[in-house]
Amino acid sequence: MTGKWFIKVIVDYWPMFLRGAGVTLYISIIGTIIGAMIGLIIGTIRTIPTSDNSLKRGFLRIVNGILTAYVEIFRGTPMIVQSMVIYYGSLLVFNIDMDKMFAGIFIVSINTGAYTAEIVRGGIISIDKGQFEAAHAIGMNHGKTMLYVVLPQVIRNILPAIGNEFVINIKDTSVLNVISVTELYYQTSSVTGNTFRFFEPFLVASIVYLVMTVTVTRILRFIEKKMDGPENFIVIPGNQMQVARPEDVAKKR
Amino acid sequence: MDNIIEVRHLSKWFGENEILRDIDFTVKRGEVVCIIGASGSGKSTLLRCINLLEKPSGGEIIYHGKNILDNKHDVYAYRSKLGMVFQQFNLFNNYNVLKNCTIGQMKVLHRSKEEAEEVAMKFLQVVGMDQYINAKPSQLSGGQKQRVAIARAMSMEPDVLMFDEPTSALDPEMVGEVLNVMQGLAKSGLTMLVVTHEMGFASEVADRVVFMDKGVIAEEGTPKEIFNNPKQDRTKEFLRRILRENKAE
Ligand SMILES: Nc1ncnc2c1ncn2[C@@H]1O[C@H](COP(=O)(O)OP(=O)(O)O)[C@@H](O)[C@H]1O
Ligand SMILES: [Mg+2]
Repeated sequence: MTGKWFIKVIVDYWPMFLRGAGVTLYISIIGTIIGAMIGLIIGTIRTIPTSDNSLKRGFLRIVNGILTAYVEIFRGTPMIVQSMVIYYGSLLVFNIDMDKMFAGIFIVSINTGAYTAEIVRGGIISIDKGQFEAAHAIGMNHGKTMLYVVLPQVIRNILPAIGNEFVINIKDTSVLNVISVTELYYQTSSVTGNTFRFFEPFLVASIVYLVMTVTVTRILRFIEKKMDGPENFIVIPGNQMQVARPEDVAKKR
Repeated sequence: MDNIIEVRHLSKWFGENEILRDIDFTVKRGEVVCIIGASGSGKSTLLRCINLLEKPSGGEIIYHGKNILDNKHDVYAYRSKLGMVFQQFNLFNNYNVLKNCTIGQMKVLHRSKEEAEEVAMKFLQVVGMDQYINAKPSQLSGGQKQRVAIARAMSMEPDVLMFDEPTSALDPEMVGEVLNVMQGLAKSGLTMLVVTHEMGFASEVADRVVFMDKGVIAEEGTPKEIFNNPKQDRTKEFLRRILRENKAE
């Protein structure tokens, strides 16, 4: 019985599952990317060293206070509740009727941002102090040091954690069904409404979710490997002496 | 000879502890100055104060006639003119050998990529690392890393190159290759300020040796004066101890 229903659900409703999976993937990808950028910016601001200038210091303290509140609020409340508050709140208080897809991306981004801000901050703190000092010693200011030396290393180091956020987002977009975003969970519920079967449609949905998360994990592994570059380097053959005499080079100047 | 750096009455406190007290000394153009002294005597702190990695608590640092501790002074431009070679190498892990030597030139000195690479290659050749431009720091030995770090600092064409125990983190068999490069640089007329425990190097290469003890300059003079004829008891004591240690190795 179940096997027959399983096949029937797939054959009759595969376009709905596919569309749902598409929306889920779309919201998670965009949400993870925007969230990672939010996190990168916030994590970077939160690690700015305190300035000698009291005006700058005061300003930075206020900004940090706001950012801490943001991180605490979004990490400390469930996304399903945030969805309701943001979507219906904006309608009621500001009279803004958000596009559902936009609302979904907004909620996922802002949530991912709160989590990655902490991941980035941890990533920056764990970079060896010597990297900062070497950059300062050749005359880079804090901004250049972060941009050219520290953040590239942080991004590489936190990529697995960001990938993890991505996988979590694929699963957690399912809560957006409460504001009727037509992602995979929402579509699956529609299928149950049409068929009056629960087990088979949700079994199909589980498989689709699993395929998505496993594929994404594999792709991210591959990207990480690519970023690390080749394991061996090429020695450029030359017929120079092992160590050129500085006198010779000094003459060339 | 003109003075490149003049340190006057420099002091440094870390909380309750006075780490440097009333330091006075100068580095003249083309001079090689070696700083020796027991561990904890403040040698690193002195170098780090000179390029403002640490903020001095008092005194003056005169660079080309201007006190760089004045608030108006451009710290970053100043640092780009002082090279620093660290005990732990501190190569940029995210870049290969060549990019380690060009990134500062491009982003701080605003040189073009072509010019930066040409300069970098010149100094990588000096240190004998021009065949390894594609290697990442993690793929190099300690001695190779330190030679690249020297090339990176030299690529900025600094007025002074400072070394903080450049061979202390190396396996014994790699100390020689780094000291050779440094000796070559000294001969080429580079101004150098070297914190070292390599007494052989100091006596051979230095124009002047500064002995630090407990945050003060206890004695300074030519290598002959310091090594053959030290005046202070604490200098004698330090030299006796370090010679014994070196022999034990
Ligand atoms: N950041 C710091 N905070 C507190 N004390 C420090 C710090 N850096 C160095 N010191 C202290 O300053 C003294 C001199 O250190 P250092 O300059 O590293 O000596 P050296 O390089 O001669 O071995 C030591 O007693 C050390 O513990
Ligand atoms: Mg030291």
